[in-house]
Amino acid sequence: MTTVIMRTTARAVVPIIFVVAASLFVEGHNLPGGGFIAGVLTTTAFAIIYLAFGLDFLERGVLGRDVDLGKETSRDRVVVAYRRLFEYGLAIAVTSGIVPLLFDRPFLTQTFVEFEDVPIYHHVEIASALAFDFGVFCVVVGGLLTILSVVGAE
Amino acid sequence: MMELPLAAPPIGTESQLVIAPILVVLVAGVGSLLFGRWPRARIGVSLAGGAAYAVVVAAIDWYVVLAPDAPGIATYQLGDWPAPFGITLVADGLSAFMLTMVAILGIASLVFSTRVLPEIDRRSYYFPLFHFLALGVTGAFLTGDLFNLFVWFEVMLMASYVFVAYYGGPQHTRAAFWYVALNLLASAVFLLGVGGIYATTGTLNMADLARRLAEPAAYGIDPGPVVGLLALLLSVFAIKAGLVPFQFWIPTAYRAAPPQISALLAGATKKVGIYAIIRLSFTVFGDAQVGVDLALPGLGTVVAGNSPTAFVGAALFVMAAASILVGGIGAVGRESIEGVLAYSSIGQVGFIAIPVAIAATTGSAELRHLAIVAALVYALNHTLAKGLLFLAVGAIRSSTGTSRLADLGGLAGRSPPMAIAFFVGSLALVGIPPLSGFFGKFLVFDAAARAELIPVLGLLLVGSLLTIAYATRMWNRSFWGARTPAVENAAVDSVQVGVLIALAAAIVGVGIGFELVYEFADAAATAALDADGYVDAVDPTDPEEIEGLEGGEHE
Repeated sequence: MTTVIMRTTARAVVPIIFVVAASLFVEGHNLPGGGFIAGVLTTTAFAIIYLAFGLDFLERGVLGRDVDLGKETSRDRVVVAYRRLFEYGLAIAVTSGIVPLLFDRPFLTQTFVEFEDVPIYHHVEIASALAFDFGVFCVVVGGLLTILSVVGAE
Repeated sequence: MMELPLAAPPIGTESQLVIAPILVVLVAGVGSLLFGRWPRARIGVSLAGGAAYAVVVAAIDWYVVLAPDAPGIATYQLGDWPAPFGITLVADGLSAFMLTMVAILGIASLVFSTRVLPEIDRRSYYFPLFHFLALGVTGAFLTGDLFNLFVWFEVMLMASYVFVAYYGGPQHTRAAFWYVALNLLASAVFLLGVGGIYATTGTLNMADLARRLAEPAAYGIDPGPVVGLLALLLSVFAIKAGLVPFQFWIPTAYRAAPPQISALLAGATKKVGIYAIIRLSFTVFGDAQVGVDLALPGLGTVVAGNSPTAFVGAALFVMAAASILVGGIGAVGRESIEGVLAYSSIGQVGFIAIPVAIAATTGSAELRHLAIVAALVYALNHTLAKGLLFLAVGAIRSSTGTSRLADLGGLAGRSPPMAIAFFVGSLALVGIPPLSGFFGKFLVFDAAARAELIPVLGLLLVGSLLTIAYATRMWNRSFWGARTPAVENAAVDSVQVGVLIALAAAIVGVGIGFELVYEFADAAATAALDADGYVDAVDPTDPEEIEGLEGGEHE
């Protein structure tokens, strides 16, 4: 798969996917989108990178680490990081649900704050649901990438 | 700056208690996930979560159900969205009874798990999955929303899929494949049923459903399709409960899962199926105004009523009768202890379903109440006894390395405390006084006798004789006789045996202090049958009332 065409396309497509994922993530609480779909989209970007540049590209090319070829993939540092991302994401999502209890509100209650006269955007709305969505995003990216890299290596 | 979409009154202690068990398990699950690198800390978090769960469930039992001035029912609206739009959680007598049952067994299984897993296993996802299994069960008992029930079922299933495949051998993978395939199909059917009910009635909130179905004309709905849709849901719950003809996944799955998880599968997830049948048939669909006219095969009785519950009863009679026979006969010839127990589970669920069927078909309110009490007490006995016996399989397997009847013998002399616990568990299954099993069986027979169903009485008798047969055989082959080499070299773990003794003590305790248990089951049955009380407590808002209150719009 690692043809010049594939790699060139990946260079162009991956940033676009990341931008779309980010926009889906931010408007998720009011419009179609949200943490789950943004996470899935982000994972497809990683999948394209894996397809075009190989499974070790992230460790060797981006992070500049040496890859121990004999090691089991599930113990890889990147895979461990993915698993952590999954775990922390779950923790963030649960915590964001519990915080309203401190304000005497039911579990998972959400609220929002609006800012007017912000440069460029003029009107910005920050919803507390973003924290929950971020947790979901981390769970989806972490979980799917763990599966992708471990199963992909086999 | 802070502006909440819908202002709600501050929530009281009872309401807080409703969500507390879910939060405790959720936090324990995530906590044990985060402490993955430190196995000791992970076990500590898990056990602390188990203890907190016990405290919270006991608090629900007392403050919501049993205390002199208890309200009997408490509700919670997730995310401050009013019913029927938001997700409602409801804790009433029935939920509390089921939660208590699961809490006792869950904690026993959790403590047992900490002693049975080798060091390497503790690093994998065993404990987080354990908590997520408990989370699914807890959520299913507490939710007051049909779609949310589906979600909790899925949470429970996801964890149990992994557990069935946990050991990773060929037979475990095969069992897991069957289990996953069947349950995916069941989930699809469940979703279909839920979708159909929404299309028919326009709501999925259980209280709102009960209210609309009781006066379909007032809400402009035609409830006819509900009978068929309820049948779809019933088949899904029957799969979870393992009633014939949906029992075929049980033996392989129970044999494949670690024994302490099989204890939970038999003691907790099966009861979710039973709970869902009782909750939907009586609380939600009990007052539905739909004519049913049906001849009951084999018994010559014609079931007729003005609610779909009569249909549920007829179907349950057939399934329960088949379960008692298939389970009992199947259990007699098995080669391993867990094989006997798995088939026995099928038969015992039949014993729980018979009184539910009686309650669904009878016209007398008093008998209906008694039959539900009988089902609940029997379910409690089954959870304790079967849980104890499956944990005993775990103890036997980790000390002797086998649970095949052919390789066992003379365990009674090798470890008398384990033998006593196992004996108590078997006797409870058979139903010997003063153990919990006696009262369960007595109440079931009593309900059948009062309903004047002679064939059912005969069936129950045959089922009981089969229970005696396989329990005796299991005991004789494994605990009596000459010691085999495997038993001679057994190293029995004292904590594991301690857990077994504690459960055996609970079985004896339920029998001796049966008055309190009966009172609790009585409150649970009252709650299950009190659809009006349920609707009043949840108090779903009418869409017309809320039209002027478009607080959620903020574009």
